[in-house]
Amino acid sequence: MLDKKVKVKAIRELGADNYLLTVNTPEQARLVRPGQFVMLKCVEDLAENPLLRRPFTIFDIHRSSRSGKPAGLDLLIKDVGVGTRKLVQTRPGQLLDCLGPQGHGFQVAAEMRNRVQLAYLVAGGVGIAPLFLLAQSLLTHGIRPVLFYGGASAADLVLRENFERLGIECVYTTEDGSFGERALVTQPLAQYIRSYRGKNIRMYGCGPWGMMKAVHLLSIENDIQCEVSLEARMGCSLGACLGCVVQTRDSRGEEQYLRVCQDGPVMNSRLINWNTVPL
Amino acid sequence: MTKESDKASFKAPHMAVDIAGVRFKNPVMTASGTFGYGLEFSNLMDLNSIGGIVVKGLSTAPIKGNPPPRVYETPSGMLNAIGWQNIGATEFVARKLPVLMNYDTNVIVNIVGFELDDYLEVTRFLNDCPGIKALELNISCPNVKKGGFHFNKDPKDTYTITAETKKASPRLPLWVKLSPNVTDIAEFAKACEDAGADALSVINTFVGMAIDVEKRRPRLRFMTGGLSGPAIRPIAVRMVYEASRAVKIPVIGIGGIASTEDALEFLIAGARAVQVGTANFYQPDISQRIALGLQEYCRLRHIEDINELVGSLQPYE
Repeated sequence: MLDKKVKVKAIRELGADNYLLTVNTPEQARLVRPGQFVMLKCVEDLAENPLLRRPFTIFDIHRSSRSGKPAGLDLLIKDVGVGTRKLVQTRPGQLLDCLGPQGHGFQVAAEMRNRVQLAYLVAGGVGIAPLFLLAQSLLTHGIRPVLFYGGASAADLVLRENFERLGIECVYTTEDGSFGERALVTQPLAQYIRSYRGKNIRMYGCGPWGMMKAVHLLSIENDIQCEVSLEARMGCSLGACLGCVVQTRDSRGEEQYLRVCQDGPVMNSRLINWNTVPL
Repeated sequence: MTKESDKASFKAPHMAVDIAGVRFKNPVMTASGTFGYGLEFSNLMDLNSIGGIVVKGLSTAPIKGNPPPRVYETPSGMLNAIGWQNIGATEFVARKLPVLMNYDTNVIVNIVGFELDDYLEVTRFLNDCPGIKALELNISCPNVKKGGFHFNKDPKDTYTITAETKKASPRLPLWVKLSPNVTDIAEFAKACEDAGADALSVINTFVGMAIDVEKRRPRLRFMTGGLSGPAIRPIAVRMVYEASRAVKIPVIGIGGIASTEDALEFLIAGARAVQVGTANFYQPDISQRIALGLQEYCRLRHIEDINELVGSLQPYE
């Protein structure tokens, strides 16, 4: 984990208040594992408001067009408040303070190669952010990802072409029926789970709490291991302020608050006490 | 142009301060609750560069803390209602303290409790632990329903808990961290001094509240939270000024310190040392920068000893 002044390389508007921010930072880019995030200051001066940095999941590692080596980070940013508003107004060349990569990412290990054949990736809206690096990592481990990507409307399904370029199966849903199936993302997911006869599936989810809870319940019903990537307001991202906790329950029923920043953001869905999450 | 002979005549300023017989290499510390157990920051700054680390408030047994949401940012500050989540003093001494002791900085432990006996129990336990330089009595946290907070409503209660805790820590100096949620801080400062406190940490957070107007519910699950950050700094400077004039024991200034200049304001107002809090969250190495900045301030102004600044506020003509 490093704290760097990074230069904004590009900012691309994706629609529906979503932006893809690319920052130059080769040293940090080399360290990234799927599911990790960085803490970005939203304005150039550290002393200026908003004071606290904001956590952003790393969508992709930006590679040098000449050497192909990691050169920076692509971050998916949804403009939802004071901090993100300032951030999406930044211009190429501006410097921002960037701390990371941080946190506990997805468990994609070499020993999964022959034991897991298929992975269902489930995203709701900007919950797509951690799944692109995950999809790439699964492919390199010989595991076939299928993406289930839902949103309110077609415009919310940003960056889907990146997944299509990987050549993986993508299933889209929208609540208004403007793109893909008119359904909640968990509906086609449930059908796929029912119709798949093989074993050794994994599920990975990121999105609104309600969606992640539905994904978790499907994983329990069908006895599939499931990891979810959580979002929380954070103070420090270092595990010091204890501001970003989620209530968890271990196998003995022992309850405790774990930190989304360091114990997560990716957690086994069985660990979370889903009765306490903000729905 | 500076001549070589001039350079040689600049002596490195004396930066050490003394608080109740304990030497701090410089007057910069990190405030409890904003720096974890210290080790969380060891990759991001040099822990040896600061005078001390006040670790997260500890109770004898672990405390789970409040349900989330626990933090919310407000203009130039933040609200928090963590609720004393901590690993417990036993675990801290077994696992964190031995690692912290490898650093050349003073470890101060902030202590919390729900009842007087809780404070006395954790105090007796920590008093016997080598590697701890002082205890900071936390009777000013606004984020627990029943708890230390009620010891800060009446100077008589503040006196009682300070006197009892002091008896339980014969070896370690006792600092008392005061609440700003009072009308006259000088009164509480004097009560602590009379009860045998060795130093005062001034101040803890202000009770605040923020509301989500769409959902019409509080931003924090606990309803209210402690306001910290630069938003509270001018009030903190005033309270340090008032407290330090009321007592002879050292006052440690806390409240929205985010730069060298901020730290200097507190020293000039009367603080012997300072603690950096919320700024650690967005600039993890800020305490190191402030420690260096203070040295530079003294060097450029030919101030030989940082202690000359303490309480050096000048009146208008």
